[in-house]
Amino acid sequence: MGGSANPNMVQPTATPTNPYQGAAQGMMQAGQIYSDPSAAAANMMNPYQQQVVDATIRDVGSAAQMGLNQIGSQAQGAGAFGGSRQAIAEAEALKGFNQQALDQVSRLNQQGYQQSINNAMNAASGLQNVSNQAFNMGNTIADRQAAAGGVERQMMDQLIKAGQAQYGQFTGQPQTALNTLLGTLTGTGAPQFQGKSSSFNPGLFNYFQTLAMMPKG
Amino acid sequence: MAKGGTQVDMATLPEFAETRIQQGLNMGADVAGTGYVPYFGPDVASLSPREQAAFQSTDAAASAFGMPTVDAGSYLPETTTMGGVTGYSSKPIMDANIEALQAQNPAQYDYLTSFTIDPVTGGQGSRMLDNQPVALEMQGQGRRGGK
Repeated sequence: MGGSANPNMVQPTATPTNPYQGAAQGMMQAGQIYSDPSAAAANMMNPYQQQVVDATIRDVGSAAQMGLNQIGSQAQGAGAFGGSRQAIAEAEALKGFNQQALDQVSRLNQQGYQQSINNAMNAASGLQNVSNQAFNMGNTIADRQAAAGGVERQMMDQLIKAGQAQYGQFTGQPQTALNTLLGTLTGTGAPQFQGKSSSFNPGLFNYFQTLAMMPKG
Repeated sequence: MAKGGTQVDMATLPEFAETRIQQGLNMGADVAGTGYVPYFGPDVASLSPREQAAFQSTDAAASAFGMPTVDAGSYLPETTTMGGVTGYSSKPIMDANIEALQAQNPAQYDYLTSFTIDPVTGGQGSRMLDNQPVALEMQGQGRRGGK
């Protein structure tokens, strides 16, 4: 009995440009199947179903023919070939064979339909799984891109900060030079340049004293 | 010390020291007039191409499921590239603020800029150190006792 799914049932509308589109399409298709599995099942019927049914009918027909032959042979043996009793027996036999054929076909169709329903549900479940995988793969790739890009951005940021620092040192260089100079003049350990000199401005009394000390003569 | 005289004490410096002190003060005055030197380059590294790709992936995910997306480029300012590094610069913000200050508080702006040179022309600000009024009061103090 047909267990193979029709590969054309899940029709990818186009090659997904990214995994998220594939995930979204898969989820949507799975939802459609879950909501109306019979529609999907119609596309999932075993393409060889009719051949199986035909073979079954042919088998039943052959059996019927054999049965009719046996009835004819028995009627001939009884000298009643072509009689009404033979006709009734053949009609009953044909009725039974027809019923048997109908039962077989119904059973086969029911089995085929149920199998296609199962296939549809399996396909929906598979679509869900594939969609989840696609979504997670997309997320993983995006996360890795973000992580790698973050490393690059941090390096760029460090370069910027280094450039800022150097520029700041350049523009602040006069101030640094001035600070160095002032530090030399006022800093600890700098030579104490400040000294003290004394001078004496003589007053009138001093002149008198000087005159008195001069030798007299 | 003899009676009738005056003792005059004068602080003195070696010539080389006095020279450097004067030069240092002059240099300080000049440095003080430099004014603010802006930084023109980027301050913060911009999103790397891989990060942008990751953001686009997030948008693609949202778009695939019919959810709203945003354009990050419309939120962040334009990047500045200088010396091979690309990032966002705060200078446009500073320029805009200075422009607003000049427009809304012109007196305050003029006052602020009067302490330094004109960064474009090099012209002296009206309140730079050399233009500050001076009233010397301590010159010749050491000789007062002799008068």
